[in-house]
Amino acid sequence: MLGPNGAGKSTIVGMILNLVTPTRGRIEVFGRDLKDNPWSALKKIGAVIESPAFYPYLSGRDNLESLAISIGDISRNRITEVLERVNLLSRAKDKYSNYSMGMKQRLGIASTLLRDPELIILDEPTNGLDPAGMKEIRDLIPQLAHENRAVILCSHLLHEVEQVCTRVAILKKGVTLADASVQELLTNHRMMEIKVDDTEKALKILSGLTWVKSTKIENGYLVLEAPAENASLVNKALAEQGIFASELIQRNSGLEKVFLQLTGGDGRE
Amino acid sequence: MSKLLHAELFKLRKRGMTWIVLFVTMGIIVIINLLLYAISRIALSNPGSGGMSRMVNILDISASIPFSLSMLSSFGAVMAVILIASTVGNEYNWRTLRIALISGKGRVQLLAAKIISVAVVVIILVAVSLAVGFIMSIITNAWAGNSLDFSFFTASYGWSQFLQFWRTLFIILPFMMMGLLFAVIGRSAMPGIAVGVGILFLEPILTPLMRAAGGWVAEIPSYLFSANVNAINALSNLPRVFRFGGGSQQAPSTIEAYLVLGAYVVVFTAVAFYLFRKRDVTG
Repeated sequence: MLGPNGAGKSTIVGMILNLVTPTRGRIEVFGRDLKDNPWSALKKIGAVIESPAFYPYLSGRDNLESLAISIGDISRNRITEVLERVNLLSRAKDKYSNYSMGMKQRLGIASTLLRDPELIILDEPTNGLDPAGMKEIRDLIPQLAHENRAVILCSHLLHEVEQVCTRVAILKKGVTLADASVQELLTNHRMMEIKVDDTEKALKILSGLTWVKSTKIENGYLVLEAPAENASLVNKALAEQGIFASELIQRNSGLEKVFLQLTGGDGRE
Repeated sequence: MSKLLHAELFKLRKRGMTWIVLFVTMGIIVIINLLLYAISRIALSNPGSGGMSRMVNILDISASIPFSLSMLSSFGAVMAVILIASTVGNEYNWRTLRIALISGKGRVQLLAAKIISVAVVVIILVAVSLAVGFIMSIITNAWAGNSLDFSFFTASYGWSQFLQFWRTLFIILPFMMMGLLFAVIGRSAMPGIAVGVGILFLEPILTPLMRAAGGWVAEIPSYLFSANVNAINALSNLPRVFRFGGGSQQAPSTIEAYLVLGAYVVVFTAVAFYLFRKRDVTG
């Protein structure tokens, strides 16, 4: 889930986790309405919401142990396993209050893994981390997803989503502006740069094509947003009107541009 | 529910504050016993002071249990308020409530587990402090050269102290639930502790003033805490010299005291559960 601060990402996560009561609408998790039996769904979900929060007076291991006791049927070996998984075993006996932000985030992820959930929700997991910590978390997320589970990542960091996610939902003020695979979104919003002699005439021709989403003139180039596979159709349409392109460049717009286009050029609230 | 209770007890056991509260309460009992011993020595060494006849029974071992219980009904309540307000309120302060709630248990069960776990700690606290008070009484009696006579410990004495033990816990309960309610309302430990402890100390000061005002204002204390606490505390076998606050002619009957304090417990608990269950957990 990608969106600017205040887009509603954390509220959606809060509603999925039964922390926030929806005023209307309904939430289906694993094909079941959450209202019917939230606990059966929650048992299959692990989540770290915003920054991780644990008891400061307990060690990392004790924090996981108290969680394991309340969940039930989780062995001490499993606690060791998840601590090892997030590279925290050597600091497991240290108090949580002495952990760095990166260690806190990793403990948060370890807590989600305790019961081997089918779905992991990570809300801004790289918040407050240094570049090395960010990389560590970003490397860990795809690994988690490759273990036969889904990971929902909430972020306002476009490059993070582009690097880590396979599918993206772009939100703004609680409205879903796009919901597609990252590849699809990038392909659909691919830009073409065309060099022609008569840019004004070419602009007029191409603006009339239904599959062209936007056109503009930039630095003497005609820039249009259109599906990548339609490049030959662009060329054809121009040639039919006696305009021949001297250059036609496919430009990958990147999630940032897609995001700015979808949110009207301003990602802020 | 049992898993949640186990987890809450685990956290309380690992928490420094639990042990501090326990040791502070025991320390208060020890210090008060030592002070009583010192006062009794001074009273006995000044026969002309007139205090001797009253002070001579201070060291009586038979009075140590009801005396400790009487003290614990106030100190214990302070400690119970601190424990419950910090246990529930700090979940908001530390934002750990979300983790507890998404572990797949209901909010009602979670809050119930927290209340029960703190109640268990309070029972242990009162029992241990009581034992400390009794041991201190034996020690001070030995120091004073009194014979250690345990013949008072009959079945009826034991039964009456057993009842007073549970009465003391009942007295603590409304304060504890008030601490809980205000911690939930304020989503923090501080409002619970401030309101709970504040009322515990302010009410005994305001009660005589309201009684002195006369008219309908004089009736108000009968529906507050301290008058009803005193009415229940008066059931102990404590010599009159040790009784705190009681003896007012307008004191409520025992039944009224149970009903009023019970009503507070029910209302505080119900509102706390309603708010805890109803409100969104955000931030």
